[in-house]
Amino acid sequence: MKLLSLQLTNVRKFAGKTATISGIGDGITVVSQANEFGKSTFFDGIYALFFEKYGSSAKPVKSLQPYGGGAVEVAADIATQTGRFRVEKRFLSRKSARIIRLSDMAVVAQDDEAERWISQMLGAGKAQSGGGGEGPAGLLWVRQGVLGLEAETPKDRAAMTETRRDLLSSVAGEIDTMTGGRRMDRVMRRVAEELGVLHTKTGRPTGAFKAALDLATTLETDHAALESQVTDLEEALGARKAARATLQRLADPQATALRAQALEAARRDLEVAQAHAGKVAQAAQALKLAQLAATGADQSLQGFLLAQTTLDEAQKAQEAASGQARAADRQVRDHKARHAEAAAVLEAARTRLAQARQRLDVAHGQADARAAQGEARQLGDQITKAQAQISLRDTALARVNACGATAAWLSQVEAQAREVTQLAGQVAAQTTTLRLSYAGQDGGGDGRGDGAGDSGRVLLDGQVLAADRDVTVSGTQVLTLEGIGALEVHAPAPSGDAPERLRQVQADLEALLAQVGVQTIVEARARATARQEDAAAVELARAVLVTLAPEGLEALQAAKAAVDLRATAARAPRASQTDSPQDTDSPQETDIPDESIDALRATVTRLEGEEASARRDASGAQADHSQARETAISAEATLQVAQDSLARAQGQAGPPEDVADRRAALLQAQAEAAEELRVAQAADADLRASAPDLATAEAEFARCEQVVAEAARQSRDLGEQHAALTAMIQTLAGGGIEERRDEVAGQLEAARADVARFAAQAGALTRLRDALEAERQAARETYFGPVQEELKPLLAILHREASLQFDSDSLLPAGLRRGATEEGLEDLSGGTREQIAILTRLAFARLFARQGLHMPIVLDDALVFSDDARIVKMFTALTRVAQNQQILVFSCRQMAFENLGGTRPQVTVEQA
Amino acid sequence: MPQAFTFVHSSDLHLGKPFGRFPEDVRVRLRQARADTLATLAEVARAHGAGHILLAGDTFDQTTPAPKVIRQALNQMRAQKDVIWVVMPGNHDHANATELWAQIARDKPDNVIVADAPSPIALAQDVVVLPAPPFERHPGRDLTDWFDGADTGTAIRIGLAHGSVTDFDSSEEGGSSVIAPDRAARAGLAYLALGDWHGQLEVGARSAYSGAPESDGFKHSHAPVALVVTVESNAALPRITPVCTSKINWLRCDFDVTGHADALAALAALMPPLAQRAQVLMDLRLSGRIRAPQRVALEQAVAQIAPDFLWHRADFSALGLLPDTADLDVLDSHGALRAAAQTLADAAQDPAHSQEACAEAEAALSLLFSFAMET
Repeated sequence: MKLLSLQLTNVRKFAGKTATISGIGDGITVVSQANEFGKSTFFDGIYALFFEKYGSSAKPVKSLQPYGGGAVEVAADIATQTGRFRVEKRFLSRKSARIIRLSDMAVVAQDDEAERWISQMLGAGKAQSGGGGEGPAGLLWVRQGVLGLEAETPKDRAAMTETRRDLLSSVAGEIDTMTGGRRMDRVMRRVAEELGVLHTKTGRPTGAFKAALDLATTLETDHAALESQVTDLEEALGARKAARATLQRLADPQATALRAQALEAARRDLEVAQAHAGKVAQAAQALKLAQLAATGADQSLQGFLLAQTTLDEAQKAQEAASGQARAADRQVRDHKARHAEAAAVLEAARTRLAQARQRLDVAHGQADARAAQGEARQLGDQITKAQAQISLRDTALARVNACGATAAWLSQVEAQAREVTQLAGQVAAQTTTLRLSYAGQDGGGDGRGDGAGDSGRVLLDGQVLAADRDVTVSGTQVLTLEGIGALEVHAPAPSGDAPERLRQVQADLEALLAQVGVQTIVEARARATARQEDAAAVELARAVLVTLAPEGLEALQAAKAAVDLRATAARAPRASQTDSPQDTDSPQETDIPDESIDALRATVTRLEGEEASARRDASGAQADHSQARETAISAEATLQVAQDSLARAQGQAGPPEDVADRRAALLQAQAEAAEELRVAQAADADLRASAPDLATAEAEFARCEQVVAEAARQSRDLGEQHAALTAMIQTLAGGGIEERRDEVAGQLEAARADVARFAAQAGALTRLRDALEAERQAARETYFGPVQEELKPLLAILHREASLQFDSDSLLPAGLRRGATEEGLEDLSGGTREQIAILTRLAFARLFARQGLHMPIVLDDALVFSDDARIVKMFTALTRVAQNQQILVFSCRQMAFENLGGTRPQVTVEQA
Repeated sequence: MPQAFTFVHSSDLHLGKPFGRFPEDVRVRLRQARADTLATLAEVARAHGAGHILLAGDTFDQTTPAPKVIRQALNQMRAQKDVIWVVMPGNHDHANATELWAQIARDKPDNVIVADAPSPIALAQDVVVLPAPPFERHPGRDLTDWFDGADTGTAIRIGLAHGSVTDFDSSEEGGSSVIAPDRAARAGLAYLALGDWHGQLEVGARSAYSGAPESDGFKHSHAPVALVVTVESNAALPRITPVCTSKINWLRCDFDVTGHADALAALAALMPPLAQRAQVLMDLRLSGRIRAPQRVALEQAVAQIAPDFLWHRADFSALGLLPDTADLDVLDSHGALRAAAQTLADAAQDPAHSQEACAEAEAALSLLFSFAMET
């Protein structure tokens, strides 16, 4: 199809008018008009003509209506392979569509038939889906401001995608079948739907599959629980059966009777055995009594015989003890006498020793007293000397403390004096001095030494001027020469601050000297020397004191007091050292010289030896005496015991005259008791020999009792167990537990079958999906070859070595690769995007042309972002395509598009 | 000379069987059908002049069925008061199921005789039944041994046993019960009424399994029956008449598509009449190999008729695809869809793949055809 002319009547701004574009060329036709001319109105009008049904009142149609309303009419003259036709539609009022063959102006189609004619002419029939009203030509229109290739609404996008697919399919021949086309889409969608029913996107079971899995899991748990309950039930049934059998056996009357009979027989046997055992016990008691009687008879006889023997032995013992007592008494008397003698000797030795020791002590005391007295005297001398030194030290120290003429003070005075001297020299050098000598007066008339007498004196400022003394004169001073007149002296005043400083230093010096009560430097030095000597005296006294009383005077005095006390004590009599009372009354010993002490000490030693010997002798005698007394006491006690034993033996033996009778009686009683014992023993042996085994009888009775009791207990326990089992069985059986188990088993089987079925189905679907995706992916790699082939030379005009990447789903450009750089479409500039959009349409147009479907490309101000250089290149691309492709360009950029060349159609607007 | 004695022989009612693997609505129908068999048997007895119904074991499905199952069964027997029921334990409801039999003994009506001990029971003046009730699930010995020495005088001897015969190792549970196949002859029985086998089967002239009056599985192909038996003497052969008793038909169809030019027509021919299908449990098992489009058509046809049945199951797992390039061309002559189909077809035939992988690929191919052929 090629456009020849366009005509709008009563469309938007052309209300009540008819706007015509005529003379549209085969190649590029540029409608370059200023803004608000109505270029977009033309674009929308012819778009509605070809893509909106004549009966439509949709927005694209309504938007064409002018404010004044009325029918909208759009017409186009076109050329097709079958001839030239006029396509005209009237919208919104008295709606119609017509196709008029221009050669004879015959109406070839009207209204709906006209719509079908248009659709077929646009190639929409090639789109198998039939979706959307746009045919392939819809791809080739670029509306003002719409740069992308994608339509705005989902419906439009779907339709455009179908169209592109058709286009690619028709051009490449195999594209659709290579990728499976819509059938592939449908199959894959169905696979996805079916898989979606079974699996989540992450591959986890869902829906019925998951429900079957969950059910199987739940049923497995339920079945296991029920199986366990059934097992419990079976075990309970078995246990109850066993209990019931045992109960029946226990309750069997015959068995019960047998147990009772056995118990009764055992009881009887036990009673017989117990009765016999009583008899045996009685016989045993009689035997024991007989044994006791026989033993008693024997003991009586033996006692009698023993008493006789004991009496004899007691008499002998009493006699022996009496002899021993007498001998012991004699021994005591002998030893007592010897002990008295030894004691007297010892007492004499002790007296002598005490006397010797007393004399020795006196001698020692006298020697100690003498030594102490000497020591006391020496200490007294030391104390006197020390006290003298202390006095010296304190006196000197008081002087030192009272005198402030320290070495530092003296140094300060010396320095101050030097400064006075120095300053005085300076002042003297700057002053004038006068020395007056009175003629004829030696030493002055008034004896004051100032040379001035009562007359003829010289006064200086009213004061008598002393003779022979330098007087400092400064400034103007008047010398009054009494009897002569006045002499005015003009002396220069000292310059600088020396005089003032001299006065200050002198005052300071005088103050320093006054601190220690001196007036001159010489006195100061003497005072400092005296202080230094006092300090030396203090140190010397301290040193002497350290030697005389290292620990102080008080310690020295305490030591002397102690020595005095010792001397006093040594001279005192030693009354405490002697026990002898006569010593206190003994006269005062005369002085014993030190050289007699050794002799006294030897005497004491000798007497001590004698006293020790006497003490040993006395001790031995005392021990012998004590031993003898103990022996005598022992002998007396033995005699007493013997006498007691004899008395008891005589009592037991009885009167001596009854001995024979009593012996005969005892022998007879012994014989009678022996006979009674023999009889009792025989009777006991007989009973024991015939006795039944009581222990056996008791054991048998106990066993039979236990059997009966055990049977009763077992019956009771089994009865309880039976009741419990019955309750449990009734609970489980009442709930139809086996039936439920079997039912759940069946449900579990069905659930597992479902799980297996779903799993197999999911596996097959996954397998199918994988196979389809793999094959489609392989096909897609060759999917866009034809488009790329057409795009390549066009793209090279703008971008050398560039290629476009296509999205496999939308079949639209998704990115631009330039060299090694690949950019997404959304990342490109507006200019580049609009260029790609146009180039892609050019490529699609060439694909249409290949299959003989020539569609015009319509661009409504499509190059608004491109710079001048790119626009020129785009013109080149458009021109290249326009060699066999009609391109209609609307633009307001009149100057820019002058370089595009092409046909400039005639545009007219007339009243309708 | 005893008069002819006619009775109904049945067994394996399995009252209370839960049928858990079926949906709830089917379960209800199946359980109700089994409960209804007692009335059906009574009707059969009346229709054939029989006064006794001998149940040769497994009247109940468990040793401890729910009390209401027992009560409702006894109530049903009580309602059929003109019939005497001889109920013998089977291996499912063996005689040691004390709870069950104690309740039956306590609640049973007068027209119910419990044959739970191996001792003769007089059914009529000259007719004695010799029961051999199992006392456990798998007795492991021939419980009918005592028949040989049982003294019943001149009375007609009817044996009643539950288990499999020694040369007929076909117990429903691969059982270990062993009944001598010539027991009837050896014990001088006029007839040996057997239970345990759920399909009707005669074992010699005097011994027969009645089978269950209602099926509980697809194992047996014949319609369930009860046997109306007439015995005239111990010497005379019994007259055995099967009478259909079932209300629900368990139908297993094994359909091998191989050799059928029109598989759909063959399938349609296999199906029961439309009016009967609501009472049919259909277990369709397809096998052989078929071309993919035909398989899709077959699947669609089966899916279409499935709702006709009370329950329906179709197993296509054994139905293989017949590789055919022309079929793949139906999908597409070339391109991705065709390539995917070819890949799956190749994988399904690849001997290097496991059987499971081949089956999965085949199923995937089948799905591909199914989806591609959807309109």
